[in-house]
Amino acid sequence: MSSVTLRELTKQYAGNAALSLDAVNLDVAHGEFVCLVGPSGCGKTTALRMIAGLESVTSGDIEIGDRVVNDLSPRDRDIALVFQSYALYPHMTVFDNMSFGLKLRKVPKDEIKAAVTDAARILDLELYLDRKPAQLSGGQRQRVALGRAIVRNPAAFLMDEPLSNLDAKLRVQTRAEIARLHHRLGATMIYVTHDQVEAMTMADRIAVINLGKLEQVGSPRELYDRPANQFVAGFIGSPSMNFVPMHVESIDGGIRVVSAGGDMDVILDDVESAIIRSAGVSDVVLGVRPEHIDSQPRSGRGLQLRASVEVIEFLGNDEHVHLSSGSHELVAIVDARTPLTIGDSVTLSASIEAIHLFHPETGVTLK
Amino acid sequence: MTSVTAEGLKVGAPRASRQHGWWRRNWVSIAFIAPGIIWLLAIVVYPTIATVRFSFYNESATKFVGLHNFASVFSTDTILTAFKNNVVWVLIFPFFVTFIGLMVAVLTERIRWATAFKAIIVMPIVFSTTASALVWRTIFDLDPHVGVVNAIEQTVSDWFSTPGAYPLNSAIGQTAVSLASFNTTGAPGGALASKSAVQPGGTVMMGLTRISSATLQTLGAKTPVAPQTIAGGIAGVVWNDFSPSQTSNTTTIVSDEHGLPNLRLSLVNSTGSSVASTVTNSSGDFSFSHVAPGSYHVEVPASNFQTSFVGTFWLGSQSITPASGLNQTAQSLLSVPLIDLAMIISYIWIWAGFAMVLIGAGLAALNREVLEAAEIDGATEWQTLRRVTIPMLAPVLTVVFVTMVINVLKVFDIILNMAPGSSQGPATTLALSIYNDGFTGGIHSGVASAIAVILFLLVVPVMFWNLRKLKGGSA
Amino acid sequence: MTIDAPVKENRVGGLAKRLHLSKAVVNVILALVAIFWLVPTISLLVISLRPESLFGVSGWWKVFTDPSQLTFGNYSTIFSQGFATGGVLDSLLTSLEITIPATLLVTMISCLAAYSLVFGSWRGRDMIFFGIVGLMVVPLQVALIPVVQLYREMGNLFGLNPYGTIPGVIIFHVAFGLPFGIFLMRNFLTGIPRDLLEAGRIEGAGEWKIFYRIVLPLALPAIASLAIFQFIWVWNDLLVALVFLGGNVHSPLTIFLYDQTRSLAANYWIVSTGAVVSIFVPLIVFFSFQRYFVRGVLAGAVK
Repeated sequence: MSSVTLRELTKQYAGNAALSLDAVNLDVAHGEFVCLVGPSGCGKTTALRMIAGLESVTSGDIEIGDRVVNDLSPRDRDIALVFQSYALYPHMTVFDNMSFGLKLRKVPKDEIKAAVTDAARILDLELYLDRKPAQLSGGQRQRVALGRAIVRNPAAFLMDEPLSNLDAKLRVQTRAEIARLHHRLGATMIYVTHDQVEAMTMADRIAVINLGKLEQVGSPRELYDRPANQFVAGFIGSPSMNFVPMHVESIDGGIRVVSAGGDMDVILDDVESAIIRSAGVSDVVLGVRPEHIDSQPRSGRGLQLRASVEVIEFLGNDEHVHLSSGSHELVAIVDARTPLTIGDSVTLSASIEAIHLFHPETGVTLK
Repeated sequence: MTSVTAEGLKVGAPRASRQHGWWRRNWVSIAFIAPGIIWLLAIVVYPTIATVRFSFYNESATKFVGLHNFASVFSTDTILTAFKNNVVWVLIFPFFVTFIGLMVAVLTERIRWATAFKAIIVMPIVFSTTASALVWRTIFDLDPHVGVVNAIEQTVSDWFSTPGAYPLNSAIGQTAVSLASFNTTGAPGGALASKSAVQPGGTVMMGLTRISSATLQTLGAKTPVAPQTIAGGIAGVVWNDFSPSQTSNTTTIVSDEHGLPNLRLSLVNSTGSSVASTVTNSSGDFSFSHVAPGSYHVEVPASNFQTSFVGTFWLGSQSITPASGLNQTAQSLLSVPLIDLAMIISYIWIWAGFAMVLIGAGLAALNREVLEAAEIDGATEWQTLRRVTIPMLAPVLTVVFVTMVINVLKVFDIILNMAPGSSQGPATTLALSIYNDGFTGGIHSGVASAIAVILFLLVVPVMFWNLRKLKGGSA
Repeated sequence: MTIDAPVKENRVGGLAKRLHLSKAVVNVILALVAIFWLVPTISLLVISLRPESLFGVSGWWKVFTDPSQLTFGNYSTIFSQGFATGGVLDSLLTSLEITIPATLLVTMISCLAAYSLVFGSWRGRDMIFFGIVGLMVVPLQVALIPVVQLYREMGNLFGLNPYGTIPGVIIFHVAFGLPFGIFLMRNFLTGIPRDLLEAGRIEGAGEWKIFYRIVLPLALPAIASLAIFQFIWVWNDLLVALVFLGGNVHSPLTIFLYDQTRSLAANYWIVSTGAVVSIFVPLIVFFSFQRYFVRGVLAGAVK
């Protein structure tokens, strides 16, 4: 097991003006589980493939352990990669698939057998060792792909959206399985996904990447509570955070932000007002998570909004309520017992702690 | 970009190291493709260029002659014949192969034994054209004891006109009159008749000659005897008036002569109408009884000498288009030898399986739902085929068609092997001309190269079209 | 199916109905077609199984009324001649000597080249590929004369003139098999997910190991198609052998048959038995690997 470090890692494909990866710095500690998340095409898979040695490095460095591995071929990097497609060799049995790497390394036969049997036991594949991939279910194939990685006992596990080909139920199961595996092996894992739920549930830390840039790195809780910018705020959490452009108004020495039609307004306290003032902006973007919207009117500071109910999605314990406030659409999660019907006019609120304010141009978090 | 560590790791000038890196990364790939590239450059690319060069040089490739070779290509009758034959092939063969392939492919979808059927149709593709040509050469053989086509033709023709017991050998221009000997003369319509008139109570002796002993033997001919008169009737004998022992005796019956059995005879009165008919017995005797008074002749109708069918010389060079009376060049350009058709039929036998397989694959790939939609819309099977299936298959059909055009532009083996010596010249094609001009009797590069260049120029556009089509289809 | 309920609402219904073939009719038509297609092959077989003395005396089809005509006499004559030079079996051997190396070489070189074209990372791969595909348009007739001369040059330079030798025929066949071979293999290899190669690379396989442990096993169906196609193509060739083997005492079966029919006194027994021997090998190949052959034909629609 080793740490993985990216220093100013940059990738530019030939004939492409834009950088696919732009000076990314990331330290993955020994034994840590880090998720790279971002929308598709953001560069997260490129980063992973560069770590694996499948893509050349345009500039910057990749270190595994304390070696710079930029110019090492994949086989010399001592890493394992679980592919999105699993990339199982269709002409080999499960056993051969899992032992292929060890055979290439000329590991003695009995050691190979022991390692494969061990991995098969962990992954519950013992009965399928003689089968070919085509004879396995999706979940089993996925486990073979994991097994192929485990058997090698690599310095780091790299996983490229390994769950995206599974159905929803299996995905939840396997998620737990991978988390357990990580715990059990204590392995360094770098996991690429576009699904923030996977990242939130499994990762020690999450690295959010957008348009080739690293937006923020932090624990799931940090990212949720203190997103560095509007992109991270919108990406983490489901349903995503509501964003409303607001105008800054000064009132009685304090600051009030109000929406275009005046249906929404936030009363800030002194500390926040000072921040806005020092930022020198006349507009801000308000962010509030659906789960933080309260079905009561405001008491004290914070957000108050008047809206009409457009759609109610009943989910059992709670309801997702789609609201229309002035020209803005919002979603709120309320207790399912809240008596609401479509067309109702309601007044809702959110506490000042739950309010995020972003810079209107840069998207950087102001509050 | 300016990461100090990255630069520090690299040794030597950046450019050189990049070059070095390129080799290190790609040497395996280059080694993998090198044999193929070298092979193709040496044996395909270079020779093609050389042929173009040779086409402007004399036969031994020592002197530049400009377009002279091309001029002689277009002024040499044998090469014009080759062009003409290629045109005939291109006009007939691709269409029929595609059509038959389509029909068979469509029909095959409805039978249970499709796999066996397809195997039967595809099988000839794996035969060498040489072997196939030999088979078909036998099938089209002139001799009905060898060629099944002529055997069938003979059987059919015999149904419609039964050959007589004494068929004339038309091959040597034999006529009925040439058989007439004692007391016998030619009659209208290729019949024979007795010279002298006869009344009831009289006898007739008719001598014929040149009847083969094989015929006599098959018919069981016996020694003839002079006829006895019968009251109120006419008796007589017809015999082969040739005695091996007395070759000059042509008036009387000799013991080693033979009667002519199975001859149909009719009795003709003075007004020329037939009043009775009979058949000779095994010694050539015949009689008509109860004949009304008057003067008669005995006639041997032409049907006795009806020639049996001689067969069609399918492998011959006789033209199926009117080309006689034209000069040599016009004939080269306009006559279509019968053997072209025979060879095209054989070639269809070879290639229809190819068309069927391709079109079948196209059919299998069709969106069944579209066909079902047509059915729901009320189209009959025929309408579906014509208005939906065939238009949807158009890309496949054109690929098959064009592939076959290319194929017959290069047609070679079948002519060399199927055409008998006498038909080789009239049946020749461009590819065969290249071989004949270039390689028989030493290597002659000039005209043969010019033909090769022309062939190349004919094939290239069609081929590129096909490749583009194929690429578009697979993408 | 012929006369059905009235279909007045459909104006062309009458015609269509008449053309609408019932299953029985289709079966009969196709049975006739099948018979027609079988007749030549059967006739060849029967002629080879009848004594030569009957050839030209009575048609081969008489065997169906008189099966006693059948005899293996022609074959036992051939086999009793053994591998004597100029005999059928000698030609069979020569055909194999040409076909097997030509097939192996084309298959191997095509696989290597296609691998490089698909999975290599050097620039200009697509251009080279299109160049190679473009070579498929070259009719082999175009190359004959210069290659004969090239062979002579090789003789002058290295003392090794392949003209008139079996390697000379093979070299030419390989060259003209390659464009199609590379085309077919490349098209197949592009269907192999790159992930598989990368998985191999990560697990420590070098380029060569990836090639023969991962790519080759997966490409087997395409390799089979190519090999069978190439085998049959070379086996059946007459022209290349005629040009490049001219004068060699050992000739492949196609030349053997050609010579036999061209000779003044054509021995039909030897022509027909030789032809049966010549179609026997491709027939076995065909029936054993029909699927692959058909696939090759489909891919080779451009040949």
